Amino acid sequence: MPVLLLEGLLLVALISIAVSIIFEKNLLACTIIYCGFSFGAMLLYIIVGAADVAFTEAVIGTISTVYFVIAIKSINRRCK
Amino acid sequence: MMDRKSKIKTAGLVLVILLAIAGGMKVGSFLPVIGAHETPANIYLSNYYIENAMEHTHAANIVTAVLADYRGFDTLFETCVLFLSGVGTLMILFSKAKVKDKTLLKKQQEEPAEPGEKILREETVGSYGGSILDAAFRIIMPIVMVYAIYVLFHGELSLGGGFQAGALLACAYLIDRIVPSFESRMGEIKEENMLIVAGIGTFLYAFTGILPMFFGGNFLEYGKLPFGRLVQGGAAGLHAAGILMIEIGVTVCVMAVIMTILEVVLERTDFDDD
Repeated sequence: MPVLLLEGLLLVALISIAVSIIFEKNLLACTIIYCGFSFGAMLLYIIVGAADVAFTEAVIGTISTVYFVIAIKSINRRCK
Repeated sequence: MMDRKSKIKTAGLVLVILLAIAGGMKVGSFLPVIGAHETPANIYLSNYYIENAMEHTHAANIVTAVLADYRGFDTLFETCVLFLSGVGTLMILFSKAKVKDKTLLKKQQEEPAEPGEKILREETVGSYGGSILDAAFRIIMPIVMVYAIYVLFHGELSLGGGFQAGALLACAYLIDRIVPSFESRMGEIKEENMLIVAGIGTFLYAFTGILPMFFGGNFLEYGKLPFGRLVQGGAAGLHAAGILMIEIGVTVCVMAVIMTILEVVLERTDFDDD
């Protein structure tokens, strides 16, 4: 039961993070929130027993965040 | 204060999100529970893998057996897709002007500029952070790289494998590029050359598949690889060697593609033509 509770909490957190990205005006903040989403997804994968996928998600989440930050730097537009 | 139009827009957006969440929950109620025993996937395929994987593939881990053996084609074309994404990025974002700029810079460093000619300067990366970042870099870098190699060679038995190892190796390079320093510690890497390396990685995978065909086997049949004398343990050893070969191919491809995209995007960053 506690595992299910944790899973539910994480799912709610993931949905709220995803919704908050849409309403965030600052692009850099969006990227960092997305990084948080990736972390939540990683925890969820660990809970459902897919440690392999969680590992991949952790690494790819890091790399994609760096890509996004570089892209935001290159378009020279911080806010919407 | 928000005006009326943007208020309506926000309300519409909230409505769409709520509808999407509700729809997702409705669809979710039709789906089987995770790991349920009576779903088709768990009745036929899983049992087949669990019963026959050891006998067929001699792999130490069923996940490895599925990824590298039963779904070897899937992994091969995944690697190809990754390579093609690197090619596409290079084609779209690669800028010739930057290269011309660089050769001009080198020329100007060797001989003094003529009067009236535009003087180019090497852009110095901002050195904020300084010694703390530098020390952190020195500690983190070797750990990341050793862990990547561990993930590559131990991927058959535990978590990880080619994709993760390649991404970790690329992470090490990424840290080198984003931690500001006076000069790049790993040296300049040209993205065109990195893409060639990625192609070599993809080729290594396909070559491991084709090699058994010359010795009476099928495509990707590791048991027929021609290094029976080099490895111990007969068919199991050959399987381990074949899986290691394709994992190295995948690692090289993933690492090189990530580095290519990073280099291309970074070049684009300090080049303002648009």
